[in-house]
Order: sequence, then C-alpha cells, then structure tokens
Amino acid sequence: MTRATQKRISLAVFVAMVVFWQVLSVLFPAEIVDGVPMIPGWQVLATTTFLSMADYWGGGFGIISVAQGGERTTAAAALSIISHSWDTLVRLYVGLALGAICGATLGLAITWSAWTRRIIELPVEVLRTLPLLAMVPLFQLWFGTYFAGKIAFIGYGVAVLFVAGVINAVRNVPPIYLENARTLGASKMEIYKTVILPAIFPELRATIMLSLGLAWATVIGAEYLGAQSGLGYILVYAQSYGFVDRMFFVALLFVLYASISFALFNMVSTKMLRWAPRASGRESLA
Amino acid sequence: MATLRQTIGATAGDGAPTGHAMRVLKAWLPSADPLGLVGIVLAVVIWWALGFVVGSAVLPSPHAVMARVGQDFWVAPMLSYYGLPKTGLFDSLTYSATNVFLSVLLGGAIGVVLGLFTARVTLARAILDPILTTVGTIPILVLAPFFLIWFGTGRWSALLLITIYVVVILYIYAQRAADNLDPVYEDSARTLGAGGWDILWGMLIPGTLPQILGGLRIALAGAWGLEAIAELLGAQRGIGKIIEVLAGSLDTEGIFACLLVLGVAAVISDMLMGALARRAMRWSADAK
Repeated sequence: MTRATQKRISLAVFVAMVVFWQVLSVLFPAEIVDGVPMIPGWQVLATTTFLSMADYWGGGFGIISVAQGGERTTAAAALSIISHSWDTLVRLYVGLALGAICGATLGLAITWSAWTRRIIELPVEVLRTLPLLAMVPLFQLWFGTYFAGKIAFIGYGVAVLFVAGVINAVRNVPPIYLENARTLGASKMEIYKTVILPAIFPELRATIMLSLGLAWATVIGAEYLGAQSGLGYILVYAQSYGFVDRMFFVALLFVLYASISFALFNMVSTKMLRWAPRASGRESLA
Repeated sequence: MATLRQTIGATAGDGAPTGHAMRVLKAWLPSADPLGLVGIVLAVVIWWALGFVVGSAVLPSPHAVMARVGQDFWVAPMLSYYGLPKTGLFDSLTYSATNVFLSVLLGGAIGVVLGLFTARVTLARAILDPILTTVGTIPILVLAPFFLIWFGTGRWSALLLITIYVVVILYIYAQRAADNLDPVYEDSARTLGAGGWDILWGMLIPGTLPQILGGLRIALAGAWGLEAIAELLGAQRGIGKIIEVLAGSLDTEGIFACLLVLGVAAVISDMLMGALARRAMRWSADAK
C-alpha cells in the first residue's frame, strides 16, 4: 500500500467518523434540556451551539455581552471563542515553559555528580507515581484559583516529567563522548555546554512530546475547579447545565488545538534534529 | 535470575546475597539503591521542615498523614458526615482498584488484539490508526463529562473511560512490537513449514510479549491516575470521591492520606506487574 493510498484512507476514515456522528445523532434524538440533544448533530453545532458561545463573552470591543442584554451575535461568539482560547493557551504555554525550564535545570544539576543523581532519583520516581490530576484541589489550596495556581499546577506536572527525562537522557549519553571531551581537556562546565546539552536533545524529544500532552490534560484540570475564563471553564459551566452540544464544541476545539501543537512541535523538532545520525524517529506520542 | 542478581550486586555494591528472604527481597526491589532510600528519608525531612514553615493546615506533617491513614484505613466515621457510607479508605481503595484492574484487563485484551491484527493487515491499520490516534489525543478531562452524562455516575462510566485509554496505549505498543520483529523469524518458520496459527502462537505472541508487558505496566501506572480523576469528577464511591469530598472542606491532611494510599497502591501493583513480566520472560535471552 502506497503512502498516497494510506492518506486517502485516513481522509475517508475521518469523513466516516463525521458521518457516523451524524447518524448517531439521528438514531438517538433524546434531549436533556429542550433543544439540547444528547448527541448533537453537525447542523446543531454549526448554528445554535456556535451562537451560544456568545454567552461567555464578557463584553468589550463595542459588543455588549449577553449578560448585559446584548444579542447573541456571530461577532460576540467568535470573540468569546478567541478570548477563552487565548486564556487557556497562555496558561498552557507559560506553565509548560516554567515547568520545562525548572525541571530541566534541576535535572541537569542532579546529574552533575553520581551522588546527587543516586540520592534524588528515587524520590522523583515516588513523586511521579502520585496521581497528578487528583492533586488539583491541593494546588488550589496552596496557590489559589488565579493565574499563579494554574501555572503552578501545570509547571509542577511538567517539571516532574522533565527531571526524570533529563536524568535518564544524561545517563544514556554514550560515555565515549564524555571521555573524548575530557581527554581533550574540557572542564565539566564545557562538557555540559558542548557535549551533554546537544546530545540529550534527541532523547528529550519524547519527554517534550509527553509533557505537551500532560500540559493539555493539566490545563483543563486547573480550569476545571474554579476558573473564571478559559475553555475548561466553559466545559464545566456547560456540563453543570447539561449543555452537551457546548461541551462537544469545546471538546472539538481542544482536539484541534492539541493536534496543531503536536504537529508544530514535530515539524520544528524534526528540523532541529536533522544533524542527529539516528534520531528517535519512531517516537510518536505513546 | 543470575544476571539480575549480578546487576543488583553491582549497583548496590555489596557481596553475594544470603538466604532466601534476601533473594526474594532483592528480586522484588530490582533497582533499590541504598542512596535512593537516603533520598526518600531526605525528602520526608524536607517535607516535615516545610510543613513547619507554612503551617500544618497547608502542608500537614508526614507523621500526621501516616496517623490519618492508620485511623481511617478500616473505618472512617467522619466520612459518614459527608453523606458517604461509613467505610474506610480500604473499601474505597478496593473499589478503585477493581475498576483499574478490570479496565486494564479489558482494554489490554482489546488493544493487543487490535494492535497485532493491524500490524499484519495493512488495510485494517490504515482504517484504525487515524481513529485511535485521534481518540488518544483527547484529554481525559474533556472526555469524562460526556461519559458522566451518557453512562451516569456509576462504575461503568469510569471503567469505560479508562478502558479507552488503555486500548490506545496497548494498541500502539503491540503494533510497534510486531513491526519491530525481525523478519528472519517468520522466514525461518515459514521455511520449516509453519502455518498461520503456528506463526501466531509460536512467533507473533511470544515475540511481542516483552514489549506488550512493558506497555501494560505503563497503562497500569496511568490507569490509577485516570481512575482517581474520573471519580473526582463524578462518582459515588472510590478514593477519588473521598478526595473530592475532603477538598470541599479544605482537609489537606485527609487529601494527603488519600494520595499516599493511592501512590502506595500504584507502586505495589507496578511491582507485581514487573515481577509477573520478569517471570513470563525468564526464557528470553534479552530479559532484564
């Protein structure tokens, strides 16, 4: 089977999934609230649901919010989607960057000597076994429900993953690289800068991929409990009123954004790793 | 086993293990490093000291959490004030554990069958790959509300939810394992006259078993967290439900106790799975 055929089949499968959803919505027309079907078809999602997003627009840009007596307009709906998506994305990437920087720095510091690595490795493993999403309530108590609490939660999850990933990657650097550098008279700092940092990147790719997935899970977790904006907030709000169509709409947005972020990272990292002899090419999202 | 013991001896830096009990212990703790235990002790001390600085309402001390676990383990009368049945952490844990194991078994079986099948049949792969990879990218918190509405807050909705993620993980692992099998195995088997069933039972399944067991281990570790969050969002019972209730009353000590119990349960089940994998792979040359 050629690649082109495979692509065509994938496309057909996606079309089939879209059609299947529509068929389901016809087969199970049960409604939770009047006008809100259990399984919303595409005609509902594209019209009523899209317009209902205007409910979450807080006002501004000359368009009054629905709460203040404004109409449900396309403009308000679009603005609402953009602003809530923006909030979620900012939280996600600030938390991700914070966690990645802290985790990678800590990981590199731990690998500086064999002693620190052996002492800290096991506690990090234990931290990893704690169910992260179940810790949302704790982070709320510690850091509040505002921006700090959310990025602290995302950052913590990403950092724990990064510490473990960096330790593992540094250990897997072929010793011959280090020995050669040392023979040529490199200091420890120089070895870290010129040998270890570039050498661990191919292996770190899987960690970054995983942490991207984790960040998407945690940002919703953080928004789930006590946020005033963001896609997760809309999801919770819609769920408590049984608006399955709005939930589905937000879920589609999540899948879209997550897929885009994965694809972008794949593209960039493949370019960055062109130098590597046999980069971990098979590493897709496991 | 001999190689396993050698690696343990090398990392632990001690002499030959003495006695049966020692050997069993070492087989169970394959990566136990005395310095790692020092690290755990240090972590507990830091936790304890930090609790002093920020106050026990924010970060309860380790011994208070341990005492709480002991107190609530069999019967936790105060949980009945929250409208929960008068049960301890143990009952909630068995409820959650049942869900975890059932969904790993069910999801594992489906995932492995699909993964191995699609590794051999290209058309099935082209159809299933896009579906399962799309499902795999949906965060659990996005999927969970739908399941709560469609399947209710009982056992089924959490069980199905976790099963889906287990299926995706095992599908990828089994498929990759079958892809990576050296074609020389099949060629040799075919040359010696093996049929379809012989290939399946004699080559495909034993050949992919190590990676599949590794995937099952990862799925099991993830399933604990998924079960906790599924219960936290809407369930009648389970450890996650207790966390949700305690979070409402800002009971950090209780939340820590629940997290500790969950973490220990996850570690124990991971060890069991690891021991099982080692047992199953004793014949293999590259078993570690």
